[in-house]
Amino acid sequence: MLNQNHIRVVDTDVHHNIRDKTDLYPFLTRHFRERLDEYGMPRSTDLFSSNGGYRGARADCFEGEEDVDPRSRFELFDKKLLVDCAVDIAILQGEYTAPLLSLVDVEYSAALCRAFNDWTIAHWLDRDSRYRLALTVPIQDSALAVQEINRLGNHPAVVAVYLICGNTRLYGNRYFDPVYAACADHGLPIALHFSNEGVGMNPAPTASGYPSYYGEMYLLRPQFYQSHLSSFIFEGTFEKFSELKIVFLESGFGWVPSFRWRANTAWKALRAQTPWVKKLPSDYIDQHIRFSTQPFEEPDPPTAMSDLLLWMNGAQTLMFSSDFPHWDFDPPEVIATRVPPEIRANILAKNALSTYPKLA
Amino acid sequence: MPYQPTQNSRDTAVRLPHVVCTVSELAAGQRVIFSFNGLSIGVFNVNGAYHALLNRCPHRGAPLCEGRLTASVTAPQPYSYSRDREGEILKCPWHGWEFDILTGRSVFMPEKIRVKAYPTTIEQSQQHPLIAKYDVSVIAHLVVVWLSK
Repeated sequence: MLNQNHIRVVDTDVHHNIRDKTDLYPFLTRHFRERLDEYGMPRSTDLFSSNGGYRGARADCFEGEEDVDPRSRFELFDKKLLVDCAVDIAILQGEYTAPLLSLVDVEYSAALCRAFNDWTIAHWLDRDSRYRLALTVPIQDSALAVQEINRLGNHPAVVAVYLICGNTRLYGNRYFDPVYAACADHGLPIALHFSNEGVGMNPAPTASGYPSYYGEMYLLRPQFYQSHLSSFIFEGTFEKFSELKIVFLESGFGWVPSFRWRANTAWKALRAQTPWVKKLPSDYIDQHIRFSTQPFEEPDPPTAMSDLLLWMNGAQTLMFSSDFPHWDFDPPEVIATRVPPEIRANILAKNALSTYPKLA
Repeated sequence: MPYQPTQNSRDTAVRLPHVVCTVSELAAGQRVIFSFNGLSIGVFNVNGAYHALLNRCPHRGAPLCEGRLTASVTAPQPYSYSRDREGEILKCPWHGWEFDILTGRSVFMPEKIRVKAYPTTIEQSQQHPLIAKYDVSVIAHLVVVWLSK
């Protein structure tokens, strides 16, 4: 186990993947193995048939083998992330597990989630002690999600539960309370990442339907998180689960000051309608919500970054993420060059160590 | 005749030739990336003409010269696509910033984010990052990049 004082960089958002569906065969019953063999992996989140970089990944990660997903290259992660970026701990959120969570057959979804988690433990966590896993769980069915949290929540390298923004309900809804109770039992925060908005059984990604282009969808992401954030606050999730932490991965953070101010204003005027919301919304955010740095905001003028970090309480609420190996990857140097020196260590590691109890 | 260090007409820096490869090793549409004095530089053969760029994107430091070659993509009017200058645009492998290999200027903000006019000087500023462009010569069958001392 790493000495906590020696952990300088925790990367909270890294995406690994299987190379081929056959990787999961040893972790499936014969029944579901035959189904996976016949129909292949569910791939249903692609509204735009487009992305950035090359096939959504850094174009310098293919190394001449264009048919191999860089997210499946264990050795590539070692070189270009752990070594080149001096990352001490990398938290894995599985690539292409999101489509599993828009399957309406929840038993099959649960089987594939279990297989993906078991495969990750065997082929990533057991091979290199620097990796941690945010569990993929079949969130369409909260009881099955709880089963998976209870099955693997005590594994020492399982440090969070991975949820995606696209759903039929906002995450403050009491339907999800059993999931948060299971997280509390195991000391696991929720790692919330965009995906699956407007896909499968989920509603359209905006109040007025679908955007036409990937660039629009890229810009729309903050509103996915804003919707869930207001839900968490006004449903009283943090009054019910006083230790629960929610990590917003790839949400952007330039919008956070505005949200805090507006939420506080709304709460002061409308508090009596939801009297179980006992604290200022910004207090809940400080205590329960953590934001990740990638894609790092580029204010104009650049000197505005100091104000932005002050206004969002970034010293306490912001954590480094690279999004490796995706095309909009940020190296840790971004923190060293764009963030005031006195809070760099908080953002690069300390905030993560206090957010994920099992890292400490 | 032996090659002598020469003076850049627009700069006082001494320029040194660095042999990168032979012409036959750098066909049209291909590139060679080499390191010298801690600098990584990419040399491109674009339709028979040679161009060299610093292999570091001014945005986030990505290995720019490992990016994909593409074209100038424009739209005469909304919802139309026009492609020309195939293979003359280099797209950064990370965040997709496009650069004109022939000039070193960015496609999206050519006046602010572009090559410095002095061929062997690398300059970057926080607000207006520049990418460095180098003079390339073909001497006999060798591709030579001129570097500042």
